[in-house]
Amino acid sequence: MSTGAEFRRGLRESLPVLIGFLPIALVLGAQATAKGFQSWQVPLMTGGNFAGGSEFVAVGLWAVPPDLLLIAAMTLLVNSRHLLMGAALAPLVRHLPARKIFPSLFVMCDESWAMGLADARKRGIFSLPYYLGTSAGMWTTWVLFTFIGAFFGPMIGDLSVFGFDMAFTAVFLVLLRGAWTSFKAARPWFVSLAVAAPTYLVLPGAWYVATGAISGLIAAFFLAEEK
Amino acid sequence: MSPDILAPLTIAAMAVVTYCTRIGGFLLLRNRSLSPRALAVLEAVPGCVLISVIAPRFVAGKPGELLALAITLLAAWRLPLLPTVLVSVVATGLLRHFM
Repeated sequence: MSTGAEFRRGLRESLPVLIGFLPIALVLGAQATAKGFQSWQVPLMTGGNFAGGSEFVAVGLWAVPPDLLLIAAMTLLVNSRHLLMGAALAPLVRHLPARKIFPSLFVMCDESWAMGLADARKRGIFSLPYYLGTSAGMWTTWVLFTFIGAFFGPMIGDLSVFGFDMAFTAVFLVLLRGAWTSFKAARPWFVSLAVAAPTYLVLPGAWYVATGAISGLIAAFFLAEEK
Repeated sequence: MSPDILAPLTIAAMAVVTYCTRIGGFLLLRNRSLSPRALAVLEAVPGCVLISVIAPRFVAGKPGELLALAITLLAAWRLPLLPTVLVSVVATGLLRHFM
């Protein structure tokens, strides 16, 4: 099939995902401006970073002025799963030239990666234009609707009076539910919570994120069974 | 530094860090495989970060805030994203008003 047809096939098959993106993007954009983002900075972040989980974390930790090192470190932690995803993709794209691989990896998100891989499994070959078609729709939708959320968010007024600040906690809990496989696998999360919450009560600033995340990872290291 | 500069710098730092994670796995791991222990740690990372960021909610002093969190938790367990957010926001707003 031609490159254009493959691209359009990817775009078409990604439509349900795009519809799922809309509410999340609007919520993220509105919360970002509520936390002190200028509305033009929101598409800059969502377009350049293009990884929703880390953007919700960044907005949650955002202040004016923001703590650059803390946010960069948490972005690295949340997006470290990309390392695994890129590694899984490697054998399928090895035959392609580097000038095609490296720009294509820029738009690799959970959904486009999963669709690209599922398509490759089904057809026996990885289709780069198909993957780029899914990614193009996702990137455009994400950037556009986070910007719309950022633009219209302030018109609603002070959101914390009405409980809108809890939306962000709700999004995180839904993301955690999505990542939940078993109580056993989630034990490091409880360690993180048990350390982060008291840290928040005794230490100023955002240290609770670092102590919580790191103690959870230490727990994951020791709880992992040797094969 | 002024916030006018720090905000775009932070956004740029996020973009650079995230792109590094996207190409890093491809570059570093294309010719080898990770140990099960390293895999288990990497898989735990996003959850540990997410729960740590919202940890302060679990030790909020006011009973109304804790009740709102409990309702949010229940909703997140049962409902899709958008209904969860709606239930959570409405419950939080009402509890703040009446408790």
